[in-house]
Amino acid sequence: MKLDSKIPAGPLAEKWDKHKASIKLVNPNNKRKYTILVVGTGLAGASAAASLAELGYNVKTFCIQDSARRAHSIAAQGGINAAKNYPNDNDSIWRLFYDTIKGGDYRSREANVYRLAQVANNIIDQATAQGVPFAREYGGNLANRSFGGAQVSRTFYARGQTGQQLLLGAYSSLMRQVNSGMVEIFTRREMLDLVVENGKARGIIVRNLKTGAIERYAGHAVVLATGGYGTVFYLSTNAVNSNATAAWRSHKRGALYGNPSFTQIHPTCIPVSGDHQSKLTLMSESLRNDGRVWVSKKQGDKRKAADIPESERDYYLERKYPSFGNLVPRDVASRNAKEVCDEGRGAGETGLAVYLDFADSIKYFGENVIRERYGNLFDMYEKITGENPYKVPMRIYPAVHYTMGGLWVDYNLMSTIPGLYVAGEANFSDHGANRLGASALMQGLADGYFVLPFTIGDYLAGEKADELKTDGDSFNEAHSKVQTLNDKLLKLNGKKTVREYHRDLGKIMWDNVGMARSESGLKKAIEEIPKLREEFWQNVNVPGSSDNLNKSLEMAGRVADLFELGELMARDALQRSESCGGHFREESQTEEGEAKRDDENFSFVAAWEFKGENKTAEMHKEDLVFENVKLTQRSYK
Amino acid sequence: MQFTQVFGSTIGKKLLLGVTGLSWAGFAIGHLVGNLQLLYTDPTPFNKYAHFLTSLGGLLYFVESVLVLSLLLHFLYAIKVTLENKKARPDKYEVHRSAKGVSKRGFSTASMIYTGLLLFIFLIIHINNFKYGTFYTTMIDGKEVRDLYKTVYEYYSNPVNVFYYVAMMILLGTHLSHGFWSAFQSLGINGKRFTPFIYSAGTVVAVLLAVGFVFIPVYIYYMGGV
Amino acid sequence: MEKTLNLTLKIWRQKNATSPGKIVEYKVSDISTEMSFLEMLDVLNEDLTKKGEEPVEFDSDCREGICGTCGVVINGIPHGGYKATTVCQLHMRHFKNGETIVIEPWRARAFPIVKDLVVDRSAFDRIMASGGYISIKTGSAPDANAIPVPKENADIAMDMAACIGCGACVAACPNASASLFVGAKISQLSLLPQGKVEAARRAENMVAQMDKEIFGACTNIQECEAVCPKEISISAIARMRREYVKAAIK
Repeated sequence: MKLDSKIPAGPLAEKWDKHKASIKLVNPNNKRKYTILVVGTGLAGASAAASLAELGYNVKTFCIQDSARRAHSIAAQGGINAAKNYPNDNDSIWRLFYDTIKGGDYRSREANVYRLAQVANNIIDQATAQGVPFAREYGGNLANRSFGGAQVSRTFYARGQTGQQLLLGAYSSLMRQVNSGMVEIFTRREMLDLVVENGKARGIIVRNLKTGAIERYAGHAVVLATGGYGTVFYLSTNAVNSNATAAWRSHKRGALYGNPSFTQIHPTCIPVSGDHQSKLTLMSESLRNDGRVWVSKKQGDKRKAADIPESERDYYLERKYPSFGNLVPRDVASRNAKEVCDEGRGAGETGLAVYLDFADSIKYFGENVIRERYGNLFDMYEKITGENPYKVPMRIYPAVHYTMGGLWVDYNLMSTIPGLYVAGEANFSDHGANRLGASALMQGLADGYFVLPFTIGDYLAGEKADELKTDGDSFNEAHSKVQTLNDKLLKLNGKKTVREYHRDLGKIMWDNVGMARSESGLKKAIEEIPKLREEFWQNVNVPGSSDNLNKSLEMAGRVADLFELGELMARDALQRSESCGGHFREESQTEEGEAKRDDENFSFVAAWEFKGENKTAEMHKEDLVFENVKLTQRSYK
Repeated sequence: MQFTQVFGSTIGKKLLLGVTGLSWAGFAIGHLVGNLQLLYTDPTPFNKYAHFLTSLGGLLYFVESVLVLSLLLHFLYAIKVTLENKKARPDKYEVHRSAKGVSKRGFSTASMIYTGLLLFIFLIIHINNFKYGTFYTTMIDGKEVRDLYKTVYEYYSNPVNVFYYVAMMILLGTHLSHGFWSAFQSLGINGKRFTPFIYSAGTVVAVLLAVGFVFIPVYIYYMGGV
Repeated sequence: MEKTLNLTLKIWRQKNATSPGKIVEYKVSDISTEMSFLEMLDVLNEDLTKKGEEPVEFDSDCREGICGTCGVVINGIPHGGYKATTVCQLHMRHFKNGETIVIEPWRARAFPIVKDLVVDRSAFDRIMASGGYISIKTGSAPDANAIPVPKENADIAMDMAACIGCGACVAACPNASASLFVGAKISQLSLLPQGKVEAARRAENMVAQMDKEIFGACTNIQECEAVCPKEISISAIARMRREYVKAAIK
């Protein structure tokens, strides 16, 4: 299979405009003859659905939540980047592009990232016009702040709830279209299969989570905006219902999966307190501006933080990276925390935490200043842990946060199945091997507001607006496949619960496909995951029935898919024997123990093709060509 | 918007309740101030004042019709809102408690409809007792006028009547302790400084009116025979 | 303080919207005080599954207090009554060993029960669709700094916009009124110059839809604000009324 990224020719800065000028349009009167199915109502899905409906297409949207407003985009805290250059600090589209591609450790496409930087400004305009209450200065203009990985202030924010506000903005536009009759919204629906007719995406099979009914929907194009797959690790900062099912089952219908091993581990999360833990809570990275990270110099030190004298503390980030200190990038901070904990020097009872200590800053600035800066985060920490971080140092630990990998898409965001588009975190496109802070919101909205509305038109202009039917062979086959799978799960009546299997899978993934990966560990994962999967299919216990709300059944289907995806992640991580971004291979490091990229052999996107149940997936390569940036090795010493 | 739409809405209904409630609260304040003249041992000032009011003619009728209309609207809409609110939660909680904090949920808020209904009945009896009560006459400045003072003193010489009045006026205070500030909130009059002020003012008004109206019959009962 | 708790749970079980429900008693033991309330329910559900019983259905998603999916009434108070805390962020250290906890779903005619503790809050979506937006097409927005917004207004708009749509306000209100939810959205948009253009239509339509869904009328009890996990002030409701009056006399 030859992968065609369809990147337009011409100078980088002109590619998108030229492309837009040359792609086909659909006549306004004909738009209403087309139906587009949008799965997922997060930033990417809601913005795409609203924008497509505004253009005049019939749109049907689907989400697993009880309301479109609850998608997990809502949890993003920090902000959204755009090169508005309002602070006059010499920011530009080029700089935003450059920071993003460098931050991604040169494993993303120049053309995609440049387009992202170009449309980012429009997102800020759009959101402001929708009534998103971004922070402002006294003069009435928008305020900016700086964020990790950039030397300019280009992040727009709405307190610590930027994701929520942007999502509610997109949701409000979506609901306006619902009111006008252009969008039909289907909540509590989970997509369980993609229907492909004559090689093209033509519909979806969903389960009505309220009634349990399996329903069929047909469309001339399908957009997947179903988010990332961090829950493969069981514990992550994702929502507990976040899953990979829609994307994975589309993959099994022929959509290639791009760079599945690229995951981002966020360094500042509240640590796990026990086996009961259902999810991890992230705390803004900004805490590292004033907090000092340390652990005891001794192994197995069970003393309280206050009882460990200064001379017995190891401020390991400051020691190892004197120039960046506590502000090293996410992946470096995460890896070092794991390292000291692996050495047995971790803090607290579990030993799986490091201290983030504000004592010096409180002494220097006063408690009031610290309260002003981080008051809400300190409150949240206290709510969850019951400890007062003004008095005792916080305990933090890295957690899975974002998945850069996803379904492979071309420049038009179309997957390898014609008519199937993938947007937001669900696709692999713009972040390479590592995502910079405040870029996820930017990408989701860029895809939905400013890319898909044009590129889908280009595709539909070449498609007949024929009558949509849901009784064809492909629909029947997909429907019965879904039905069979659910029936099978309910009949197993085994001994272990879905959650127990999910937790076991998560442990394999975290131990072997987590922050630091080695050949032996990855091979072990590739061996263990199928075994566990086999056991799951013999011994899982899914209570209840399929004719009403049954969250155990929902979870069982999702976990079944995560087994397969987890294995693919391990395979992808194994083939990529370089270290890059969030992907750290122990075999590929410098003498000082830092990540070593191998541009000569790994400057490509790994796109995996499903070859059938229990068969090994086949890897295809899309070579990454860099014409405008010079590849450099990162250093934070 | 159509008139019917506005006053058919949950907001419109509360708007009406607020305006009509405030008009009666205003009346009650005036009524108390005027009636303080009952505390004089000399009946003349009070009777003069009563005569003055009844001789206002058209203006009196106007004010009376506004008050009657207000009362009827307040009565009807309060019943309507209460019944509709009950319908909004047909299935009751096994346990339903207040989270306290800023919440004002309590006896006063929960009893608005009951205190209101009792006060409505009270008002009818009250008007019947005095406005249409025993008609004594007396001479003031050479003119024959009604001696309402005597009617009042006679009525409050009976301890049952006094007790009933005291009870009713406590209900009035209870009703107003939520109703007064609530009316402003219903009218959308809210502000960082205004709202705490009007809430306290509501409590003060409720207490003063209750105390004032309780004081008069009690005073008359104990001092009236002197 | 104890590290683990043994608790008696009295939980509302109901098969679907039409069948009658009842309180069922369960025991859970060795509950770590580090658990969140929902993790405690997870433990119960694991137990029930292993015993071959159907787990208790409850809604939750982000489990960090922002998505608004979760929400149950704990001992009579939505989200349990701890300051600015959703039930997913409520931790078991607030409970005592041996305690009995009554857990019920949101109750309101406009929020029919789906199953057990799960309710249907789509009424909120329909209210939002009736006018909870600024009518701006993608691509037609002016530069974000073209219209200055006073910081004070932007800040209050943000206070109002913080609503997570969980429905605790309705659940707590003795009248099952949705005024805080609707008022917050109307307030947010009417405070911004971008939203003033259609303020009258918005107030009229959103209030009409709110009433159509059969939420009760607000009688200014302020219980909603007391349970709101985002501590949204009832000044939102007053502002909604002002906007409504403005629309009425227009």
